[in-house]
Amino acid sequence: MTRIVRRADRCYGCKTCQLVCSLHHTGCFWPERSSIQVFRNPQTGVVRWRIDETCDRCGREEPPLCVKYCSYQALHKVADPNQEERQRE
Amino acid sequence: MSKEGKIRGGLAGKILRVDLSTGKIWTEASSGYAERTLGGRGTNSLIMLNEIEPGTGWSDPGNLLCFGAGSLVGTAAPGACRTDISTINVFSGGKGSANVGGSWGAELKYAGFDHIVIRGKADRPVYLFVTDGRAEIRDASWLWGKTTYETENLLRQELGDERVEIAAIGPAGENRVRGSAILIDTAKAAGGSGVGCVMGDKKLKAIVVRGRGKIQVFDPRGFMEAVARAHRQCEANRVKVDSMRQSGAARFENLDFEAWETCMVIRNGQDDYWDRGKRAQLMNPEAGIPSMRRKVRACFSCPTGCMPFMEKAQGKYPEMKGEGFWINALWSVARFDISDPETAVAFWLLANELGLDTDYVAAGLAWVFECYEKGYIGPKETDGLELTWGNGEALIHLMHKLAHREGIGNLLADGMVEAAKKIGQGSEYYLIHLKGQPSIEPFRIPKGWGLGVSTSPVAGRHLRGAIRGPVHSGPSGTDYDITHYSNQAKAVVWQAKTKELEDNLGICNYVGTWSGAHFLTLENFAELVRTAMGLPVTEEDLMDHYAVIGRNLEKAFNTLHTNLSREDDLPPQRFRREEVKTGSYKGFKADEDQYNAMLDQFYELWGWDQKSGMQTRESLEKVGLKDVADKLAGKGLIGK
Repeated sequence: MTRIVRRADRCYGCKTCQLVCSLHHTGCFWPERSSIQVFRNPQTGVVRWRIDETCDRCGREEPPLCVKYCSYQALHKVADPNQEERQRE
Repeated sequence: MSKEGKIRGGLAGKILRVDLSTGKIWTEASSGYAERTLGGRGTNSLIMLNEIEPGTGWSDPGNLLCFGAGSLVGTAAPGACRTDISTINVFSGGKGSANVGGSWGAELKYAGFDHIVIRGKADRPVYLFVTDGRAEIRDASWLWGKTTYETENLLRQELGDERVEIAAIGPAGENRVRGSAILIDTAKAAGGSGVGCVMGDKKLKAIVVRGRGKIQVFDPRGFMEAVARAHRQCEANRVKVDSMRQSGAARFENLDFEAWETCMVIRNGQDDYWDRGKRAQLMNPEAGIPSMRRKVRACFSCPTGCMPFMEKAQGKYPEMKGEGFWINALWSVARFDISDPETAVAFWLLANELGLDTDYVAAGLAWVFECYEKGYIGPKETDGLELTWGNGEALIHLMHKLAHREGIGNLLADGMVEAAKKIGQGSEYYLIHLKGQPSIEPFRIPKGWGLGVSTSPVAGRHLRGAIRGPVHSGPSGTDYDITHYSNQAKAVVWQAKTKELEDNLGICNYVGTWSGAHFLTLENFAELVRTAMGLPVTEEDLMDHYAVIGRNLEKAFNTLHTNLSREDDLPPQRFRREEVKTGSYKGFKADEDQYNAMLDQFYELWGWDQKSGMQTRESLEKVGLKDVADKLAGKGLIGK
């Protein structure tokens, strides 16, 4: 199994990942229906990023859209040992 | 022949209409307007031209405050995050417009609206809450007097939703200070034309948007291919992308960067050369501006990212932090001969908190400093503040006074032209303004820059055609040496036209065609429009039709609403009379004959009457603006 991870130090908070993810799921730009949610606080500079279980790594699409369209190389698809463990169980 | 077709994607579909005098709220379709103008600023301009009667003042209930997200905003088009805010310009009485990034425009579209058009005036402070096809006018008396930072925090707390996007004014806008901005999430300022002053005059403290809807594009697969190509276009300019990401101001850390030599105006225009030692102090890596830069952030859907997040410790001024510090801060403080980096950062963040336009503050208050130097005003008028060159603390004090209309701030808040009439004694000559709006721009060294600024339909500002060197997709047969007069007009018109398109589509100029950055080309724009909006346009259609419509709508508004003439398209008097005193461009000035020759060429390229600068029936009818030509001709305001 794989999962998408974010390197926070590279993320600029542009929300492109959230957008293209919603396109994969719905065929539209629909941030509310994205597996990824990005929250920004311009007063602290903090960007919070969250991905939920609806992420399917874009199925056969390689690389996943969020990884492909991230201009900051902040997102990566990595092997998820925890999930592999769960699969075996 | 009409180039216009049916729009089949990209738009949210509706315009929200609000009358603050009556409390009435209604909607209408946006597509009819966008099919004519391409949307965004173009639609705002069309609505203003159609609905505001000549003779209406900026403070009359009949003035409209129009917010318009670009037609590609809300999609993944690179840099498509911009919102145009148009209204009557509080300085010129003509067209006002300010353009701003962030995520507010995208959220507005997810809420179902491309535009919000506000007329009338509330009788008490209110804010507008817009969500999912609905809007509500709510009491804002509890927010009145708060800074933009406080307003945003209080609204988020009250609404309990961290996803809301907020456009707000600070105390400056509430107090109808002419140079007031509207701040998008406290950090991105729609600064020009006094848009924040109009919002405050309407007693509208904020517009909060939250959208859970979607934006559909015409051909999603083709569109994403176009987006990928546009991203590659950015990658091809890797050096410039890296420079943006280190923050927009990073290039100025190189003290030999040519803009230090060509684009600075010092001590309110007494010189255009700034001492190298002062540059070094401001940009010192250990103790200067770079040392206060913590990280860089990007606007919605932006592949370049150019907003430094600054953090300033307690020092001369209280601790401050915030996003969106931009290079204009360097120009601004140099205008006062201030080389103290703490003041530069405090100046910028304080302007955002108070809701002041930094250009207005820099150009207007530098003139006040010069009035003090020349003895037109003294300590009695300034409440004891010593407005001497280099005195950063005096500048920061004066900003508070301006925003709150305290002491001399009350005189300056009603506009610098008005203040100059009151101060008199010849001080008017030293006030640097264009069509009434104080201006920080250089004119003596960069001629194409100067022409773009002086001909701007929104009373100056450098994003309406100013050029600062070659654009990789720009027109051929033009001279990109910005110190020359020859062949500058062609590039200026090109840059002005591409900005029209960018403001209609909502693509940031810095991701688009700005001469200091230029990542995307017209080919990218055409491809994005075809696949997102379903309009079968070519690059020529964009440039020769839609861009021409946009500029002419604003020009016609100015013709109908003001007495602006050819003289108002020339640089301020001071730069025509006084030469640069030191540095390698010593002796340069804005030669009036040469500027007039550029102006002839500029009007000709737009198809306007060369002598008067007025629009012609032929140039208007060519792009389907017969109704506009008729309107102008009816008042005898059309050129030959």
